[in-house]
Amino acid sequence: MSATARGGNGTAPLVSVRNLKKEFPIKKGVFSRQVGAVKAVNDVSFHVARGETLGVVGESGCGKTTTGRTILRLLEPTSGEIYFEDRDVRALGTRDLRALRRDMQIIFQDPVSSLNPRMTVGAIVREGLTIHKLAEGAAADARVSQLLQEVGLRPEYATRYPHEFSGGQRQRIGIARALSVEPKFIVCDEPVSALDVSVQAQVINLLEDLQREHNLTYMFIAHDLSVVEHIADRVAVMYLGKIVQLATADDLYREPLMPYTQALLSAVPVADPKSRKERIILSGDVPSPASPPPGCVFHPRCHHPAKDVACTKIVPPLEEKTPGHFVHCIKQPPTTVSWEQQKEVGGVHPPERYLPLAAVHA
Amino acid sequence: MPGLIPASAVIKPAQPRESPLGLTLRALLRRRSSRIAMIVLGVIILVGLLAPFIAPYDPAAQPDIVALKDLPPSLSHPFGTDPYSRDVLSRVIYGARLSLTIGILATIVSLTLGVAYGAVAGYIGGMLDAIMMRILDAFLSIPRLLLMLGVLVAWPHLSIGALVLFLGLTGWFGLSRIVRGQVLALKHAEFVTAAQALGASRRRILARHLLPNLVSPIAVAATLGVAHVIVLEAGLSYLGIGVPQPLASWGNIIQDGADQVARLWWMSLFPGLFMVSTVMMLNILGEALRDVYERRS
Repeated sequence: MSATARGGNGTAPLVSVRNLKKEFPIKKGVFSRQVGAVKAVNDVSFHVARGETLGVVGESGCGKTTTGRTILRLLEPTSGEIYFEDRDVRALGTRDLRALRRDMQIIFQDPVSSLNPRMTVGAIVREGLTIHKLAEGAAADARVSQLLQEVGLRPEYATRYPHEFSGGQRQRIGIARALSVEPKFIVCDEPVSALDVSVQAQVINLLEDLQREHNLTYMFIAHDLSVVEHIADRVAVMYLGKIVQLATADDLYREPLMPYTQALLSAVPVADPKSRKERIILSGDVPSPASPPPGCVFHPRCHHPAKDVACTKIVPPLEEKTPGHFVHCIKQPPTTVSWEQQKEVGGVHPPERYLPLAAVHA
Repeated sequence: MPGLIPASAVIKPAQPRESPLGLTLRALLRRRSSRIAMIVLGVIILVGLLAPFIAPYDPAAQPDIVALKDLPPSLSHPFGTDPYSRDVLSRVIYGARLSLTIGILATIVSLTLGVAYGAVAGYIGGMLDAIMMRILDAFLSIPRLLLMLGVLVAWPHLSIGALVLFLGLTGWFGLSRIVRGQVLALKHAEFVTAAQALGASRRRILARHLLPNLVSPIAVAATLGVAHVIVLEAGLSYLGIGVPQPLASWGNIIQDGADQVARLWWMSLFPGLFMVSTVMMLNILGEALRDVYERRS
């Protein structure tokens, strides 16, 4: 069963992505000869169900931001399929794409560079209304006031400039801008990573309130598992352009079957001075996405005891280990890559269940 | 994660409201050098604007070419008179008007061209950008003075309109470079991506998001550009293809006295002083603008 086949709650997914790839060419020399490609997103498939929040986590450079922007066609995908409701996003022409933009919005990480310093807050929030001819004149003013109030800002702020606001307030302005066109789906691209912890909580609570009120669907990108744990229904873990684990938030934290997820979880600080937690320290650096390792992308840094030469030869499918729980690892049973197949390429350790953090995160 | 701090505690503006333009003006007024520059330039511009009311004589009138020629500065002719018996003070006052007008108009021409060319190259990018930049390199490799000599040979009697156009058409290369670089840097800013995500057209992104953010470097280039054109016009007048007689520009007044500087020193000194101080003040202002702009970013 593929990761896209099941809808989260039985309904058709709002967004589905199949075999998405995005490569950035590496060019060299006077004639811009292409000498390679950075495989930022390397064959990724998933769906986002209506009304759910899909968390996407991974280190910087793992392709999570690129995935989000490719779905919105802010970047053109290299290959793969993207569907929004029943619309083939990749096939849309300029006019249809512009119409689709009303349904899909984005909230950015950087509260400074995401707001035009030369525009007033009112003009920023109003732009979407003008572009999609949703309101003009006094009606637009009223809508801007309403949007500002909805994100917890005073309507009088419409005449001010972004530089007069704090990071958290700027994020609220960005959220109001995204909401202005009444989207169904919002890619939240690390919306709280640049904020103080206390402000992070406020912005996350605001996003949750808005989701309830407007029946929004989120793709919530973060590099911090504790933030995602709070807001996401399901979580996709990315590493080197691939989804290596995709599960409900509960399953992911209870049963991090992917060794990479185990390492990420062990790095989440626990606010308990008595807890003596086991740490998994990854050795080495993330390999270059221009030349990802063969086989399993994670094998050079993997600590699974059954890791062997088969991991360097076989690209693990993202396969369902328990219902709705997809993991990219041929050493965690059950696996569709049989032990015989693994032995054939030189495997010496049979698959074996390995869950070092099970006790800690129970 | 409960919200521990009441929302009202953080939701207040950090500073009183002020537009970017207001901030720049205030920063310029706070510095002594740019404050002085603005005052001096303001006075010179006023002199130019009010020329007909403050000039004591008609700048082109030659009342008595025998008795009143080559007079040194005196009470009735504070800047003296020239070999045609014209009053140098009146000519310098009218010259302020003409020199500044030529400087400003020519700069408007080169700003328009430079901004349009640079913005298109930087925003569209790719092949078009590469081709446009190579063409620019070709233009940049021709010395402006050589072009001028060429023009002098082809059209010895340029009208003022043609002169403005010529100065404008040869002055935009450097600026379009700057604009292109800025657009290139800005077009991947997140607020541009946000506008794209909202469905903004390319034209809208260029007009609403990119160009307004280029105001600072353009303002710097414009200020320095006016100064440069004033000097160039003087150079052209010296070569004999500047502002035609009997009109007065600072350049051609200086030129009138250039042959006999030692004897008729007042003819070149006074317009020269005006020109040098204008150019200096413009440069000070331009540098201050650049400084304010860089400090902010």
